[in-house]
Amino acid sequence: MTRVTDDIIIRAVARVMIPFIQLYALYVIMHGHHSPGGGFQGGVILGASFILYLLTHGLEEAKIRMSEIKAGLFSSFGVLIYSGIGLLCLILGSNYLDYGKLSTILKVVPAQARSLGILGVEIGVGITVMAVMFSVFFDISTGGELPEDEE
Amino acid sequence: MEVTVLVQATDKAFEILEKARNEARELLYSSAKLTSEAKSLAEKREARAFLSGAQQSRLAFRNFTITFFILFAFWILLSGRFDLFHLTLGIICCLLVSYMSHDLLFANTRVGDIRIMVRRFFSAGPWFLGQIFSANLHVAYLALSPKMPIDPQIIRFTTKLESDISWVALANSITLTPGTITVDIREGEFFVHALDRKVAYDLNTGEMEDKIAHVFMEADHVYVQDVLDVSRIFGALK
Amino acid sequence: MDSFFLWLGMGLFTLVLLCLYRGVFGPGVLNRIAGICAIGTKTLVILLLMGFIYNRVEMFIDISLVYALLNFIGTITVAKYLEMKGEV
Repeated sequence: MTRVTDDIIIRAVARVMIPFIQLYALYVIMHGHHSPGGGFQGGVILGASFILYLLTHGLEEAKIRMSEIKAGLFSSFGVLIYSGIGLLCLILGSNYLDYGKLSTILKVVPAQARSLGILGVEIGVGITVMAVMFSVFFDISTGGELPEDEE
Repeated sequence: MEVTVLVQATDKAFEILEKARNEARELLYSSAKLTSEAKSLAEKREARAFLSGAQQSRLAFRNFTITFFILFAFWILLSGRFDLFHLTLGIICCLLVSYMSHDLLFANTRVGDIRIMVRRFFSAGPWFLGQIFSANLHVAYLALSPKMPIDPQIIRFTTKLESDISWVALANSITLTPGTITVDIREGEFFVHALDRKVAYDLNTGEMEDKIAHVFMEADHVYVQDVLDVSRIFGALK
Repeated sequence: MDSFFLWLGMGLFTLVLLCLYRGVFGPGVLNRIAGICAIGTKTLVILLLMGFIYNRVEMFIDISLVYALLNFIGTITVAKYLEMKGEV
């Protein structure tokens, strides 16, 4: 399931569509409070674009673009953003994840600070979801074998 | 008695001949697949190697900027908000996506001017729409008549187009036209399933292929229009 | 105009039921895949018509784009899986 597909139509169409799918995923994350979407949905679409690349262009090229190590790092990075924003609110003297206190750093109205804080945690959630979806699919498709097992 | 032995012997001979023919055909297909994949990889490597280092990075930068502008236009189309916050978010997202996948959108080194191709694409659009409309009417007539005079057949043909984007463009426009579906492309040969004789005949005249070769500037014989377009640019360079 | 969209949507829904017959009773798995993929394309148009009826087109365009994407990726995945299994 992870060989390069012989079909030239699917390969060329997927190659052209993948940047647009990724941009649409980022649009869904950023416009979470105006239209349906948010962090989790955008992360799923972003992960689906990498899975499409793995299905049509094979395992080796997908490993060059996003290796397992990078996927693990991204998943932790997303959680770091989420809890980092919460900790920042705690350090500034209020409750955990109380975004109103961020207005002292960002110099905006507290309502605007809440909106920006939610946007920040949605970005963190999106990155984590993308990384976890890709790494789960990667593990299933290689059957859990690591390259160093083959020696 | 000798006749039955003779008949048995010829039966056996035919069986052996059949088996040998099947094995030879399998061998031919597997070797052809190997050589065509190896050939395409070697071509890609050659195309990248024939550009020098500086040319390669300039090509990468050009791909990056064109991808960035196309994606930014798409972002503006998606989100109708033009305040500074959303535009800044849009620029950051487009930069991120262009960095991640800028070599996907324009992977082939193409000979030919992209401005001419864009203009020809927009002028060939209405012809395709007209084709789709007339084929739609014909297939509706076929499907709604009581005895349904369809005559399904599979056509095989080779094209004169060279790069994989033009193959895919031809295959997609054949599939988009009702009555014909591209089933497979194997080593440059198209397998198309057509619904009856009239749509097959319309396909075999090669008009759609000519139009696509005209858009992608790829035909073998010289079009007068190509010379006129390119000579204007060369005249400006003098 | 609303009633026109409503009747159009109901007509498309009957076509969806016809495709569902092929999806349930199709002999073999390839017929079922073709039926479900056809249902996906009709679902897109029904979603957009619902957007026009409820007068909130922007929301439903986003949803239908996502559904088109997932339909495409899902069909490719299932086809690759069957090719690996040897059914094609």
